[in-house]
Amino acid sequence: MKRREFIGKSAVLGSGLAAAGMLSPKPSRATSANDKIRLGIMGLGGRGSFLNTRLAERSDVDIIYLCDVNARKLGRAAEEVRSRRNTRPKMTQDFREMLDDKTLDGIVNATPDHWHALGTIMACQAGKDVYVEKPLSLTFWEGQQMVKAARNYNRMVQVGIQNRSAPYFMDAVDYIQSGTLGDIHVARVFNMMKHSPVPKGPEEPVPNGLDWDMWCGPSQKAPYSQGRWWFNRWEYSTGGVLGDQVHQLDVVRALINRTWPDSIQHMGGVHFFDDSREIPDTQMVTYAFENKLTLLSESTLWTPYIKKTPMTIRDTDTFPDWPFNSTRIEICGSEGFMYFGRHGGGWQVYNNDGELIKSVHGRQSTDEHLENWLQCIRTREKPTGDVEQAHISTGLGHLANISYRAGNRKLDFNPATQKTDDVEANKYFTKSYREPWVVPENV
Amino acid sequence: MKKWVWISAIVLALIISIVVVIYKSYARTSIDGVTSASIRIISPGDKNIEKTYVHTQEKTESTWLNITNVTFRKEWTEYGGPRVVIEYDLNEEDVTPKTPAYIFIRYRPENDGPWQLLNHELLEGNGHGIIDYPGHKESYFWGGYEMAFDNFVKAEFRVRGIKMARVPAGEFVIRTLPGGGKDDTQVHDRTPDLPIFHIARYETTLRMYTDYLNEIASTEEIGWNFKMKDDSTCGIRRHKAFLGKVRFSVTPGREDHPVTQISWYDARGFLHWCGLRMPREAEFEKTFQGGIFLDGDAYRENPNPYPKRSYPWGETPPDANGIYRCNAYGIEDGFPFTAPAGSYEEYNSPYNVADLAGNVEEWTLDWYTTSYHVGLDGYRMIRGGSWVEFPLVVDIISGATKSPILESGMVGCRGVFDAY
Repeated sequence: MKRREFIGKSAVLGSGLAAAGMLSPKPSRATSANDKIRLGIMGLGGRGSFLNTRLAERSDVDIIYLCDVNARKLGRAAEEVRSRRNTRPKMTQDFREMLDDKTLDGIVNATPDHWHALGTIMACQAGKDVYVEKPLSLTFWEGQQMVKAARNYNRMVQVGIQNRSAPYFMDAVDYIQSGTLGDIHVARVFNMMKHSPVPKGPEEPVPNGLDWDMWCGPSQKAPYSQGRWWFNRWEYSTGGVLGDQVHQLDVVRALINRTWPDSIQHMGGVHFFDDSREIPDTQMVTYAFENKLTLLSESTLWTPYIKKTPMTIRDTDTFPDWPFNSTRIEICGSEGFMYFGRHGGGWQVYNNDGELIKSVHGRQSTDEHLENWLQCIRTREKPTGDVEQAHISTGLGHLANISYRAGNRKLDFNPATQKTDDVEANKYFTKSYREPWVVPENV
Repeated sequence: MKKWVWISAIVLALIISIVVVIYKSYARTSIDGVTSASIRIISPGDKNIEKTYVHTQEKTESTWLNITNVTFRKEWTEYGGPRVVIEYDLNEEDVTPKTPAYIFIRYRPENDGPWQLLNHELLEGNGHGIIDYPGHKESYFWGGYEMAFDNFVKAEFRVRGIKMARVPAGEFVIRTLPGGGKDDTQVHDRTPDLPIFHIARYETTLRMYTDYLNEIASTEEIGWNFKMKDDSTCGIRRHKAFLGKVRFSVTPGREDHPVTQISWYDARGFLHWCGLRMPREAEFEKTFQGGIFLDGDAYRENPNPYPKRSYPWGETPPDANGIYRCNAYGIEDGFPFTAPAGSYEEYNSPYNVADLAGNVEEWTLDWYTTSYHVGLDGYRMIRGGSWVEFPLVVDIISGATKSPILESGMVGCRGVFDAY
């Protein structure tokens, strides 16, 4: 399958929600090829600030709003824009202010996980296109609602699964689809890292300039204490594994050309850290797909000797040290074996004699991914990292977490009903919300 | 034929004269604003001190402390051999034990050679390092490993001074975890102790930094980047000059604004040039709030009324009641971008240090320590608020983690000198 075909085919796989896309498109600002695209950035932490600077570099974009519940984040981001474009974006702590601006074309949603769904859905309802960071959603159900919103309001929702925009990724898809590796029955993804304990400290006064109530938003309002303790709590996060692993799952799913699995089994748990975390630090997951293909996903947060692809390699023509590369993907075919590295790193193929027969270099692709989204805002074509594909990839991670929460039980998944065969497990497909920040049933 | 030879010779001579005049003119202007003097060193063993050539400084106008009557001369001592006597007058009334001066001397042994810091350990007298009172000062330089009089016949010296604040030894309340407050594996002492240190009362200004650039420019192409030309946040121009040399100047009117667009390495370069270092986060916080006792733990007679204050002046928000106490976001405070250093002196910290809350953020020595964003290994901490921040948040916990190669219009630096 050629890359264009792959993208096209991928777009119609899944839940069939695309049919709803024509239901009630809201009129959006006409964006001609010569118009600058007017954007607002929602969430100015590390990733949001990075995207802000990348977009501020572009002459075809005007950043009109900067939004963060923490006022400390605003000025710095504004200066990043001013120093590049000599314009000063409006700064706000309430994202609804920018949604009310009819002249805005789109928003970048780089908030914590628990704000991805509602922020994206409200933006779609306001007629804005959206670039939302990974992982797409806090729960499986939220992902479904986000797909519905994108389709119902005819919005271009691109997700930060930027590996899909890398030319070397597309070449790898073509290569595997050509059959050179033979029959593929096993694929492995890794995401082994080193994190630190992040216990929740005693309650502290909310710092000046932080709207803590808004930060908690749709989730329970917790007593404030500094640090990223929330990163390993189900109420606010998908955890250190899924938050990163979704890149791997998305890439491997494309490489093996699969959507939903038939069954999922999680093994592992909180094995290393003693900081009252809820989300596992050790996740070994088996996904069984159609045509006897098994995907193994191995993730840890306490393995310092296995490194992510170094920054010094990501933008060069250099291959990582594969055995100790934490974000590698292995495709095991009957006629060959492929190493694939995400965020740069390229891919290499070995034949049945262990000889290296193919090497393709690769580099990071955030800029290409943003470019694709901006093009889609103009052309109204579906973006490369479309919300529906991201929902499937993120959904694999959700299913693994659901298996864990149900007691590491093996779950059979029904793609038609989008549920498992386990009533207990199905409770974890969604969560309760805190008024007024409720993710709507009807989008 | 003869006539044309003569005319050619005259024209050639004229051209050479013009070139020499231009070069000399450049050479003079390139050191404007610097307290400078030169001395011709007499050959070793020459005990006839009456022949020593004494040269006074050329100019004193600068952000540096007001220093006049700088002279250098060589003396012969009976047992110690020759020494250079460095004398000057320090004309700053507010130089006191609480707000002393920091004096550093730089020299170059030959014309156009590299300038070097005269190490304080090589000096004797009361005219270098931390100085508690104004007046006439003398320091004696006996030479040293890095500067033996035998090796050259002429030297130039420059004396510069910076207003400092003395922060007495003692406990204080620290409000953030070191390294960005993200590494919960570290033991955190809530009332740590710090030894005495001295910190610059003002952020490093454009005039000071440009002086630095002009001194090092002949030998090193570092410390300047094209973003510095931005007049709203910096305003340092780089001029191509004669014979491949470069010269730097400040946009008129911005001389006393803080330098920005400097990387951590640029800040270190400047401060190292002065013989200073960046503050640690803990030192920044102690300077911002004051210790438990403002006179230090040795005396404990002056308790700090607000040892956990939000702002250098106390708890009142920076823009309360229409009074602006620092340079933060907006034009209501009088400055759309940076403000001249020390524009809000009424609202200095307990140790009389200016602009800790607003104006520009400042690089610190501390590394960012977290294991979550492994990609941020090698980042440095920035502390303090700036002109782009909302007034409410330019408080004691204001700070950021930044790549050391960041050059931003909101980040500057100030120096620290350890007492010894």
